[in-house]
Amino acid sequence: MTETSRMTSARAQYANAIPRRRLVGWVLLLILGSLLALPAHAAPRLATLDWTLAETLVAIGAPPVAAGQVDSYHAWVGEPRLPKQTADLGLRTQPNLERLAALAPDRILISPMFANLSPRLSRIAPVSNMALYQPGDDTWQRLQTLTREVGELAGRDAAAEALINDTQDHLARLRRRLPEEMSPLVIVQFMDERHVRVFGAGGLYQAVLEQLGIDNAWQGDANAWGFALVGFEALARQEGRLVVVEPFPAGVRQRLAESTLWQHQPSVRAGTSLTLPPVWSFGALPSAQRFAEELVTALEETVDAH
Amino acid sequence: MHTEASSRPWPGLTCLLLAILVAGLGMHQLMALGDGPLISGLVEALNALRNPLYGNPDHLLLRYSWWPRLAMSLLAGAALALAGVVMQQVLRNPLAAPTTLGVASGANLALLGATLLAPGLLAMGREWVAMAGGAGSVALVFALTWRGGFTPLRVVLAGLVVNLYLGALAVILLLFHQEALKGLLIWGAGSLTQNGWHDVSFLAPRLVLGIGMAVWLLRPLAVLELDDASVKSLGISLKRLRLAGLGLAVFLTACVVSVVGVIGFIGLAAPNIVRLAGARRLGARLLWSTLLGALLLAATDLVLQGASPALSTLVPTGATTAALGAPLLLWLIPRLRLASVPHAAQSHVVSRHPAPHRLIRGLSLALLVAVGLALFSGQTVDGWHVSADWQVLEWRLPRLIAAGASGVMLALAGAMIQRLSANPMASPELLGISGGSAMALMGAIFLLPAPGNLTLVACGTLGALASLAVLITLNHRHGLAPERLLLTGVAITALFDAVRAIVLAGGDPRGQQVLAWLSGSTYYVDLPSAALVMALAMLLALASIPFCRWLDILPLGAASASALGVRVGRARLALLGLVALLTAAATLVVGPLSFVGLLAPHMARLAGLQRAHWHLIGAALIGALLMILADWLGRQLLFPDEVPAGLVASLIGGGYFMWSLRRG
Repeated sequence: MTETSRMTSARAQYANAIPRRRLVGWVLLLILGSLLALPAHAAPRLATLDWTLAETLVAIGAPPVAAGQVDSYHAWVGEPRLPKQTADLGLRTQPNLERLAALAPDRILISPMFANLSPRLSRIAPVSNMALYQPGDDTWQRLQTLTREVGELAGRDAAAEALINDTQDHLARLRRRLPEEMSPLVIVQFMDERHVRVFGAGGLYQAVLEQLGIDNAWQGDANAWGFALVGFEALARQEGRLVVVEPFPAGVRQRLAESTLWQHQPSVRAGTSLTLPPVWSFGALPSAQRFAEELVTALEETVDAH
Repeated sequence: MHTEASSRPWPGLTCLLLAILVAGLGMHQLMALGDGPLISGLVEALNALRNPLYGNPDHLLLRYSWWPRLAMSLLAGAALALAGVVMQQVLRNPLAAPTTLGVASGANLALLGATLLAPGLLAMGREWVAMAGGAGSVALVFALTWRGGFTPLRVVLAGLVVNLYLGALAVILLLFHQEALKGLLIWGAGSLTQNGWHDVSFLAPRLVLGIGMAVWLLRPLAVLELDDASVKSLGISLKRLRLAGLGLAVFLTACVVSVVGVIGFIGLAAPNIVRLAGARRLGARLLWSTLLGALLLAATDLVLQGASPALSTLVPTGATTAALGAPLLLWLIPRLRLASVPHAAQSHVVSRHPAPHRLIRGLSLALLVAVGLALFSGQTVDGWHVSADWQVLEWRLPRLIAAGASGVMLALAGAMIQRLSANPMASPELLGISGGSAMALMGAIFLLPAPGNLTLVACGTLGALASLAVLITLNHRHGLAPERLLLTGVAITALFDAVRAIVLAGGDPRGQQVLAWLSGSTYYVDLPSAALVMALAMLLALASIPFCRWLDILPLGAASASALGVRVGRARLALLGLVALLTAAATLVVGPLSFVGLLAPHMARLAGLQRAHWHLIGAALIGALLMILADWLGRQLLFPDEVPAGLVASLIGGGYFMWSLRRG
């Protein structure tokens, strides 16, 4: 081997050595950087079947990669909207497993309603079963706990805390806008022209009323979801201001206009009944905020009108 | 003999007792209103009816809710019972009900469709939409049976299949639009709640018209108790007579359904109770059934109104009547003297296939193609793909196996029960075994917190066993006569329908899960359980081979069978046991609403497979083919939404069935 050739090979070795050393450095830096950045950037990709969980996820800035029945979510929950990237899994009760497996989420959030799916879902990703609207729970406490739990799983504890505080502040502000003495309300939603859901203990609306310091005039039974299905005649003697939450099923408004029983419902006859735009009645904190806002605005408008 | 029977006072006495009960219940409620003695309550109520004080909420409630509701329950009960008698008379089948021809399912589908697509129509009047839907479905039944001259067998079959078809479509709409359609679930459970006289004044003149028509048709309809040849020899057009009779029944049913929704049981039970009480002639049966129907519904409704403050949710009367009526029907069945109606021989409907083995070979080939298609092709996020990756097959294989196996089991069970009972309406679903299993499942979903699949399966099995026990206990004394078995099954199924309707009407979000479970889906099956189901299917299929001789002989009737040396009672028990096992195993996989057990045996028969072993093999292959195709199509049609296999199978099978009815 000649001197020159040895020299060139040594130079070559040297020339190679610098990038290699630099490369190692870069890699170390990258690893270190990603470790530092992990909580902020590598947010887990979550999928959910439940709309209440989906709405919470969007509200804390961690929209799900996939959700069940996206179109119906937008029709019935409405706000906050799911981003375009959120994939539709089809029916919430029977999400498309092939599709979900292809999306490979890091975790799947479900509510107890879908518990029977968890053995199958857990073959795709770990499943977290988040309870909401359980009999015997304090709904408001439960909503906050749920938000915290979802925040933890999504790696967005701070955002979840912020959502909780924001909701509390918002409701407190709304409460200050109301007069001291509020007459009790009855909150109903029409199923058809003869049947209504009345919302009572255990439901979202009731929880919001409590936060606003308004009494619910409906003291009857309610199911685990916080409503009772009753014939309209059950309201004929009902005291309290009537709050109807939209949507009205097709044709119901017309029929009500002709109905003597409706005309003589105490609150309707006194002209104090209110109509609110639709709000998802089994929602989480975002729905609670929206319901409170709509309710207080409607109450104020009628106060001004009188 | 006839006069002796009809001179018995029982029908009148039954009605009188019920009338006293209704009056008593009504008084009791009025007394609670007026806080004085009985008379003052009554006077107050009548005052409220004649000139109410609008400032008095009690008066308003009486005038616009209580009285119209009472009137409505009487009218609706009467109309349904009248329709039931006419229907049973024309169709010569004690199991026929006012809804047999699809009126309710047509009305239901029309309402669901209008709610989703054209809500403007509903604003114009809900009852008209319902009427149009009911009329449409009945027109379909008539069109399918026009050429056959409305023979009872064809009409019943066509009605059954139209009911299934429209019912399956309705469940699909409900699955995907539960939120938008929740109000119609209340309608489907038949709520008599009224808020004015609007609906009563709609129904009353129509009922009067119906009664007039019934009186006018009384004599010609009575002739239908004779066989066809004798009727024809009297110079009566059977076709026109049947059309008129069915038209009357359908008109009355459609009127009731369009204002108060689906009210079960009355139209089926009132005529049977009256017959049991001893009314034999048509005139007597019409009169007493109409009265009894009115009183039965009124009594149920008053009891429910009395109990409603104690119930946490609204319990619709229509479904409750059915739920309360089912045990009554079960109690009645052993006491019912069923005239053994001469069954129209089915074999002459289609000619026997010349070479059954070639047909079987063709079916097997089709099955193989279907398996390949279902296993390897499908849609993914970015379009259609053919793939053999295990990561994809992992999800498809269990469903394919489960679909095929449950198809085989249901088809075998259906073929056996249809041959055993020589009744084309027979199907494993109608035996009530599926219904029992499904009721247990619903109970588990609603009563247990977050039940897992294993729990659900265990509950389902228990439910199936319980209904089998009921079936055998009630019918053992009568040697498990097929007509009684079916009637028992109808009662259990009615109970199941009622419980389902009540559960769904309540609007609990878990109703969605119930619907998904019940609609016949292979969704919940994993590989081990699919393998288990397949092993079970093969085992039971093998076990059914030795029964082929009995299955050839039993359709000839009990007398001929025993003459040929078959111990009828024992053969029936053995076959029934096998049918129950097959049904229970399949129901746990695909739910109770698949109707493969009804359709596949019929399709095999329509294809010309008459002898028992060819019939069984053909039905099993068709069952598997139907379910596998249905499962695959269900996953592709509305991707990423999945339509449950049982529903798609009902649509494919039902479509084919209607087509061949029309042709044949």
